[in-house]
Amino acid sequence: MIHSRINRRALLAGAAAALAAPHVARAQSGGRVIVGTWGGDYQDLLKLNIEDPLIKPRGIETLYDVAVAPPRRTKLSAERLSRRGTFDVACLSDIDMFTMSQQNLFDPPTEALVPNMKNVIKSLAKPYALPHIYSGKVILYNPDKMNPAPRSYNDLWDPRWRGRIGFADGLYMQVIESAAIINGGSPNNFEPAKAKLMELKKLEPRVYPSNEALAAALKSEEVYATIMWLARGYMWKKGGLNLTHAVPTEGATPIIFDKAVPRNAPNKSNGWIWMNAMLEPAAQLGFADRMGYVPTVTNATMPEAIAREISFTPEQQEKFVKIDYEYIAANNDQLLEWWTREFKG
Amino acid sequence: MTAAAASMGVAARRGGAGFSLGPALVIPATLLVLAFLGAPMVLLFRYSLNRYSPRDFMIDAVTFENYVRFFADPYFIGVLGTTVQVAALCTLVSVLAAFPVAYLLARTDSRWKSALVIAVVFPLMVGNVVRAAGWMALLGNDGAVNATLRWLGIVSEPIRLMYTPFAVILGIVAVVLPYMILTLQSVIESIGRDVEEAAANLGAGPMTTFRRVLLPLSLPGIIAGGTLVFILCMNAYATPVLLGGPQFKMMAPALYDQFARTTNWPFGAALAFILMTSTLVLTLVGTTLLARRMHYRKLDAAAR
Repeated sequence: MIHSRINRRALLAGAAAALAAPHVARAQSGGRVIVGTWGGDYQDLLKLNIEDPLIKPRGIETLYDVAVAPPRRTKLSAERLSRRGTFDVACLSDIDMFTMSQQNLFDPPTEALVPNMKNVIKSLAKPYALPHIYSGKVILYNPDKMNPAPRSYNDLWDPRWRGRIGFADGLYMQVIESAAIINGGSPNNFEPAKAKLMELKKLEPRVYPSNEALAAALKSEEVYATIMWLARGYMWKKGGLNLTHAVPTEGATPIIFDKAVPRNAPNKSNGWIWMNAMLEPAAQLGFADRMGYVPTVTNATMPEAIAREISFTPEQQEKFVKIDYEYIAANNDQLLEWWTREFKG
Repeated sequence: MTAAAASMGVAARRGGAGFSLGPALVIPATLLVLAFLGAPMVLLFRYSLNRYSPRDFMIDAVTFENYVRFFADPYFIGVLGTTVQVAALCTLVSVLAAFPVAYLLARTDSRWKSALVIAVVFPLMVGNVVRAAGWMALLGNDGAVNATLRWLGIVSEPIRLMYTPFAVILGIVAVVLPYMILTLQSVIESIGRDVEEAAANLGAGPMTTFRRVLLPLSLPGIIAGGTLVFILCMNAYATPVLLGGPQFKMMAPALYDQFARTTNWPFGAALAFILMTSTLVLTLVGTTLLARRMHYRKLDAAAR
């Protein structure tokens, strides 16, 4: 009897040790960090510029939870009451990040946790997240087809371009914002956009389900112009699309891709290590060259040729449209519904 | 007292001897279903009674206003209408397209039969999204179909095939066709060839044999396949999103939008229950009507 009990105990101890072994091994090797991110080029560049040179040498294993933004937002919301969430680092656009931060989901970054935070461009900083890369919203157009070249968002409302203006469905808020600005609206009043877009609807604009579908339409010259991030335009140009960009006379609207560490991150300290690594100048510059996004830190200097293509002049930066996150978060529901039902319907 | 207790113990042991493990075997599956299907559904139903708040995500409440909003809004009624129409049309088209193939598969003695069955099953091994991507390559403005039409000189400008209801129906039918063929095939195989030969002997032509013999006898297969396919079509997500484009709205994409894009979980949960209930009701009505028809035919035949 005693003999059998000892055996059972030995078995239990063995099983516990076996279960704990990977954790022990992981702890010795620096553990892991789970990054919730977009896939494709963005993920490749995270690996190339952050994971491989800065995280792997510390013995930390990086795992990517790849999805577009809506499922990631949904996951963050669904896990908000769980003790252990999925992500150590969550990537979202500035608008989405603000909306999520309203649910008090993220730990505030501090200089003690992220020493590189001191180099972040002040106007891009926020208390709940750190900016990773940024760009601005511009007009992208086919220079062979659009003559005279568009200079203002208003130039897209021209009957000459009937059926030739295309939008990506995911950028509904950005299109609404552009229409609001040229019809007497402001960053905290997008209502005038509705009448203006209904005017455009008569000119049969096209709405595509994804950025990739829009790129295909621009390539096949099904449409000639769109409203898009300058960085994406840079990538598409590099990919062989006949495009050029115009910073609208109304001013470009910045888009910042933020990262944050959720309160319930399973490997929080590694999350902060990752956040610090992404702000290293070398890591930042990798995104500029291949994706056309501008660094968010003051100590990363881009090569002149790239800077000319992807950055905004001081005058253009002066004219940046300031986003009212509060307004957008409070109105996303009704504006998306209007976009889906009235504009696209 | 002691004696009574002892005799009860004996009775219990005797009862225990007759105990069979068989029925207990369903317990693991039942627990799994309760834990992973029942519980989330109860939770989802509870969410559907909450109120949405952009700032606080969800406010606890017990209200049916999400359901009222759906039925009071012509837009959402329209979305449900489109979903039912597309599902019904796809089911009908797939029955019509599947029957000849199923008949061929059921009746052939060819040594290629198993290869044919594999060919039917093969599309199921490719995900819906990948198949939709294939359709995009075919139906796009510079896709294979338009290129051929232009090469043949039939059209000068590409015709719009992508992002149309036609593309969605084509895509969904392609997804569900194997299910319909396999269901019909197994039922047709169970219908003896002698029944068709008897009909032919009695002077029935191929059409009469089909209408009076084959079709009524394969009705159980049509009901089973139709039910399966209708449910799949009602809940189609990837195909309508990728081939219908942003303008084309069916219920599954609409409820995904509520969950993921608007983060309005209460309304999204209500849409999920409305979709589930309408699928269930329509399936029950459809199968009951067809089954009754089958029953009358049997009575009719018996009377003769």
